[in-house]
Amino acid sequence: MSTSTYNSGSDADQRRANRTKKRNAAEKRFQWYGRLSIAFGIACVLYLFTDIISKGIGAFTQTYINVEIEFDREMLRLGEAPTEKEIKAASFNSFFKKTLRAKFPEAQSRREKSQLYAMFSSDMPLILRNMVIEAPSILGTKQNVSMIADDDFDTFFKHTYGRDLNAEDRISRLSDFQESILGKLVDSGAVEKRFNTIFFTNADSREPELAGIRGAIVGSILTLLVTLILSFPIAVATAIYLEEFAPKNKITDFIEVNINNLAAVPSVIFGLLGLAMFINVFGLPRSIPLVGGLVLTLMTLPTIIISSRSAIKAVPPSIREAALGMGASKVQTVMHHVLPSAMPGMLTGTIIGMAQALGETAPLLMIGMVAFIVDVPGGISDPATVLPVQIFLWSDSPERAFVEKTSAAIMVLLTFLIIMNSLAVWLRKRLERRW
Amino acid sequence: MLDTAKETYQTAGEPFLDEPKMRVRNADVFYADKQAIFDVNIDIGKNEVISMIGPSGCGKSTFLRCLNRMNDTIDICRVTGELFLEDQDIYDRSIDVVELRARVGMVFQKPNPFPKSIYENVAYGARIHGLTDTKVELDELIEKSLHRCGLWNEVKDRLEEPATGLSGGQQQRLCIARAIAVNPEVILMDEPCSALDPIATATVEELIHELSENFTICIVTHSMQQAARVSSRTAYFHLGKLIEVNDTSKVFTNPEHQLTEEYITGRIG
Amino acid sequence: MNEDVMVGGHISRQYDEELDEIRSRVLQMGGLVETQMDKTLDALREDESDHIVDVEKLDRKVNKMEMLIDEECTQILAKRQPAAGDLRLIIATSKSVRDLERIGDEAERVAHMVRNAMDNQISKKAFKGLLSLGEQTKELLHKTLNVYARMETRKAVKLMRKDQEIDDEYSRVVLRLIEYMKKDPDNISDALDVMWAARSLERIGDHCINILENVIYLVEGEDVRHTGIKEIKRQLSNSD
Repeated sequence: MSTSTYNSGSDADQRRANRTKKRNAAEKRFQWYGRLSIAFGIACVLYLFTDIISKGIGAFTQTYINVEIEFDREMLRLGEAPTEKEIKAASFNSFFKKTLRAKFPEAQSRREKSQLYAMFSSDMPLILRNMVIEAPSILGTKQNVSMIADDDFDTFFKHTYGRDLNAEDRISRLSDFQESILGKLVDSGAVEKRFNTIFFTNADSREPELAGIRGAIVGSILTLLVTLILSFPIAVATAIYLEEFAPKNKITDFIEVNINNLAAVPSVIFGLLGLAMFINVFGLPRSIPLVGGLVLTLMTLPTIIISSRSAIKAVPPSIREAALGMGASKVQTVMHHVLPSAMPGMLTGTIIGMAQALGETAPLLMIGMVAFIVDVPGGISDPATVLPVQIFLWSDSPERAFVEKTSAAIMVLLTFLIIMNSLAVWLRKRLERRW
Repeated sequence: MLDTAKETYQTAGEPFLDEPKMRVRNADVFYADKQAIFDVNIDIGKNEVISMIGPSGCGKSTFLRCLNRMNDTIDICRVTGELFLEDQDIYDRSIDVVELRARVGMVFQKPNPFPKSIYENVAYGARIHGLTDTKVELDELIEKSLHRCGLWNEVKDRLEEPATGLSGGQQQRLCIARAIAVNPEVILMDEPCSALDPIATATVEELIHELSENFTICIVTHSMQQAARVSSRTAYFHLGKLIEVNDTSKVFTNPEHQLTEEYITGRIG
Repeated sequence: MNEDVMVGGHISRQYDEELDEIRSRVLQMGGLVETQMDKTLDALREDESDHIVDVEKLDRKVNKMEMLIDEECTQILAKRQPAAGDLRLIIATSKSVRDLERIGDEAERVAHMVRNAMDNQISKKAFKGLLSLGEQTKELLHKTLNVYARMETRKAVKLMRKDQEIDDEYSRVVLRLIEYMKKDPDNISDALDVMWAARSLERIGDHCINILENVIYLVEGEDVRHTGIKEIKRQLSNSD
């Protein structure tokens, strides 16, 4: 080093001061870049969340119309002690319509009448019938029934009614007649908003007011269960073998490269593979969580293998040496020391893989999990759909009410993802804190 | 240096003993095509502390790891020659490495306790080798091992706490306790104090001195002063060859070989 | 044989310099002691008391030098933990320095005796033989210092025989002094003074032998004290 670098004197001092100033400025600048990008990210997330929440919050309430209904035996043509069969055969449809006509005599024309019926969920006759089946004693009595409002009514009541809105902001598919009836109902205190339990207890439906996500949630859980049970052991076994036992040669190098590549393959390809293999070759039925789980297993395996391998790599070699030096065999070393130390990392990787699988749509579309399924699946071989696919389906539906259902389902999905990620963080913290 | 004629090397000093614990004859070690150890002949006496010194990369650690076949874990490593533990050829096919390592224990450079409790660390060897039948026996063994390493009073109240919470010197003594819990015949120590401060080093050295009553100890060290302090014999390695083996007092006052002299007086490093 | 004792070549050049300095200081001290010896003999030869003052001055210098070299040796032991040849150099130096200092003391003692003799008008007769004994020891000292400077062990062994010659000469001087005392009891106190001086010169020879032994230890690593010359030769030829 030349001595001139250390020269004192005003010139050198000046240069040193300049250098320091420049360097400090550069460091400040760099910090600000970071802060700005974080701020941008937070702003985007906040926008997304407020948008989704503002759109979806409505789906968690449902409008009900309280109507007193007399379960008139005559009208239903049911005897003193009707059997279930008799009840099922009874025409609740015409009973419902007659009751409504009696309650709302304003409906005169045929058109007005049908508009009147359309204000209530089309499932109401069925619901009334189920009430009777459950408690036949209500026959011949007057019951105060909370009737589920139709989606158009619901949307109008939640978003437009009672607000002074411009014409273009009004969301209304109701006729003037229907609006006048609504006005009367509200005045009499018969209309109320309640927490929407239907959304969580029902499966999908053509009628937005009856559509729920229970089927999709159960479908997702079943699919993920299959994925977890298959992918975790396979991935961990693969990772351990490749890291600890496999000889380092061209074959293992090749396998390693391919695993890394698989992690980058678009997920829809796995769907195609699943379709070709599980459905066409093995002849498994479409739309079932088992096939969905198998496909998602294929998709998450590389992720879990890679994270498990890096967790195993992160175990200090001194631990292995210590165990081997104590006379532990290779398998003992792995089972007693490497695996427990690597477990937090492996579990984190697995949960992140699972979260990824939970949010996956494309491969499931390929294997027919996009079908419209009204029943909550009872097992891994029942047709089912999953949350993201449900969101996809609803977002495609024309009914205005499905917009809020879509957002609400996204909120539920995000909640699950956040829960899973927090679980990953908690698990890692907990397992690592011990030593 | 490839497979032409096998190279022989005459070690200066007194490498051979009567009734040795371990006997090494014509040992060569190769890493792939590269030879790391050239024709080492040495005896290791019963209950002696022998230190291996030499510049970095001279092969002393490699040689030490031959003695309990730790080199087996490296795929490209190949050991030839005859290495005997008493009358058994330790590279014989019939020898189980696990059993060998129970007889020839090892302590490493960096204290490497398992990320488990202090108790579990010491118990590990006994568990995998099935040395004890009951919990009481195991407890006794652990207390005894910790006692011998002078750790018992320091850790008796926190046996269930993680071993990684101990200080560096305590960790290294725990590793030694873990090694002697299996009651090996020979303990190999690969620079056991290089990660420790002088006080902890002194404690470990004192421990080595006490253990030499019952165990044969081979210690690789970078510190010549440590070799001078703890060992009764000293072996000097240079570029894979065993240059000289002599009584430590002789090596440090009047070594026979020029290279030994140059190394211990600080002329080659 | 010399290549066994290397001072240079350490990785730490500062260490080289420190060892070098110790060696050159020992030689410097040796030079001082030799001058002391010269002056003493000059005094003996010429009855010149100036020389005696010089001898005393030199002795103070030698003492300081001894302390200085000892301190340096201690420092090296503490800082460098010398081993093998370096360790032997420090040990041998530390011991040789003490011998040199003793030689200085003995020379001073002889000088004091000469002053006494001058003051008391001691008969020249009494000194007969003392000078030649002194010359012999001086020569031995000179050669010893040369051996130390060049680290020549063979010469050291050869020189060790000289001790016998000095002892013989000493015996002759003593016999002569006894004769002198027998002649006249008044001579006894004078003769005793001379006797002490002769004794000192003989001691100087012994100290030289110690230094030679140190040189052999330093070079060969063999402790040859209390060993016959034949045995020493045998040991040295073994270690070659």
